[in-house]
Amino acid sequence: MQTLGATAPTISIETVYGQHHDWLRSWLCRRLGNASDAADLAHDAFLRLMLKPASRGFASHGEARGYLRTMANGMCINLWRRREVERAWLDTLAARPQEHAPSAERQAMILEALNEISAMLLELPPKAARAFFLAAACQLTDREAAEELGISPRMVRKYVARGMLRCMQLQARETLDALHGTD
Amino acid sequence: MGHASEPSHESLEQAAEWYALLRSEEADAGDRERWQAWMAAAVEHRRAWGYVESVSRHFATLQTTPDPRGTAEELWKANDRVMQRRRALGSLVAVVGIGLAGWLTWRSTPLPYLTRTRNADYRTATGEIREIALPDGSRVWLNTATAIHEAYDARYRTLSLIEGEILIDTASDPSRPFVVETPQGRLRALGTRFTVRRRGESSELSVHAGAVEIATQSGAWNVVPAGRRTRFTHDGIAPLAPTDSAREAWSRGVLIVEDMRLGELVEELRRYRSGHLGLSPTVADLKVFGSFPIDDTDATLDMLASALPIRIQRRLPWWVSIEPQADSD
Repeated sequence: MQTLGATAPTISIETVYGQHHDWLRSWLCRRLGNASDAADLAHDAFLRLMLKPASRGFASHGEARGYLRTMANGMCINLWRRREVERAWLDTLAARPQEHAPSAERQAMILEALNEISAMLLELPPKAARAFFLAAACQLTDREAAEELGISPRMVRKYVARGMLRCMQLQARETLDALHGTD
Repeated sequence: MGHASEPSHESLEQAAEWYALLRSEEADAGDRERWQAWMAAAVEHRRAWGYVESVSRHFATLQTTPDPRGTAEELWKANDRVMQRRRALGSLVAVVGIGLAGWLTWRSTPLPYLTRTRNADYRTATGEIREIALPDGSRVWLNTATAIHEAYDARYRTLSLIEGEILIDTASDPSRPFVVETPQGRLRALGTRFTVRRRGESSELSVHAGAVEIATQSGAWNVVPAGRRTRFTHDGIAPLAPTDSAREAWSRGVLIVEDMRLGELVEELRRYRSGHLGLSPTVADLKVFGSFPIDDTDATLDMLASALPIRIQRRLPWWVSIEPQADSD
C-alpha cells in the first residue's frame, strides 16, 4: 500500500523505545554478561537518543537497531575502558605506602582526569598517541621523547601538535554536548 | 546557540601548534611574544587556547599524583589492554548496521571476556518453597510462585527478582558485590541476610543481618540496617520500619504471625494456594497469633478453625471459604 512513497516514513523515538528497549537490554546483557550494567547502558542509550536524535530519523526498525547497536557497542567499550582505568589507578595506589595516599575527594578527581586522558589517547593514531603521551603525561622533552621513539625531535613536535589538536576537538565536542544537555 | 562562538578548525590548529612549540626547548622569548600577539588578535584565538588549557588541566592533575610517571605508565598499559581487545575482536565480528559517525563504527565489537557469565533461571510453583545453592556459596530461598534470573560474572553477582519473594544469605566475596535487581531498583548486599518481595509496582526489603543499600531507578538511595524493612518504588523509598525474623520464617516452611488480622493472613495464604480462598468480611478483623505450616495450607486452615470462631467451607477442592461459625446450633 505504501510502496510509492518517495521518502520513507520515520519512526518516532517512543516507538523505537517500545519495540527495541528489551532487545537492546538483552543484547547488552549478552555482551557485558551483567544484567545491571546492561540495564544502565540501555537506559543511557535511549536517554542519548532522546536528547540527541539521529539526524535523519529512522526509516525502518532494522536501521533503528543498527543505530542502537553501534551506539551500544561504543558504550560497552567505554564502560570497559573506565574499569581498566580504575583498575590501573588502584594498582598504582596499592603499590605505594598507605600514608601517602591522596584523600578520597582528591582520588575521585584524579580518576576523572585519568579517564579523560585515557579517552583522549584512545582517539589518537598510535604514534601520535605515544609521542603526545610522553610529552604531556610523562613530561619528557621533545629530545627525550624522540630518543625513546627513535624519531626526530621535529617529528615529536608535529605529533604533539596533532595529538593536542585531536584532544581539543574532543573537549570541544564534550562542551557542545554539555551545552545541549547531553551528558 | 553554542555553534556560532565555537572556534574554527584553523584556530584550533594554530593553538595546538603554539602549544607544541611553547613546550619545546626551541621556544624563545620572541616566540612567546608572538604567541601573546596571536592571543590578543582575536576572541576566537583565546577561545581555542581555552581548549588547550582544558586538555592540559587533566594532565596537570596527573602530575599531582604521588608517582606521576608510574601512574601514567599504568594508564598507558590499561589503554593497551583496551586496544588489544578491540583489535583482536574487530576481525572476528562483522559489523552490521549504520554508523553513528565514522569514528564510532570501528568500536563495534563485543567483549568476550565479559560475556563469560553463568546465567540461570529458577522458578517455584504455587505452594512450593525451594532452596538453591549459588556457585559462590551464597544461598537463596525461593518462596511460592517466584522466579529469579541469576547472572554471575567477574565483577558482580546479580540476581534479578522477576516475581515473588526470595531470602538471601550471601557468602562473602569483597571483590564481587552481590546485587539483587527488581524493576523498581537495585539492592546491594553489604554482608548479609535479607528478603526481597515484589508487590505490584513496589518491592519490599527486610534486612535480617548486615545491611543492604537501595538505589531506586529514579536515583533515590538509602542503606537499610539489620532489623529494618522498607518498601520502595521506582520513584522513592518509604521510611524504615522495624522487622523481625518472622519475615524469613517461610524459608523453613513456617508462617509466624503475631497480632495479625485474619484478612491479612488469608492474603498471605492465597499466595501458596492455587484455588480460590474466600473470606467472609465479618471475620476479617479477627486477630491471629501463632505459627502455621505454610507448606500445608489445609492444615493451617484447620488450625485456624480450632482457634477462632470460624469454620472452613470446602465447597469444591479448589474453592474454600472461611465463614463465621454458625450461631450456636
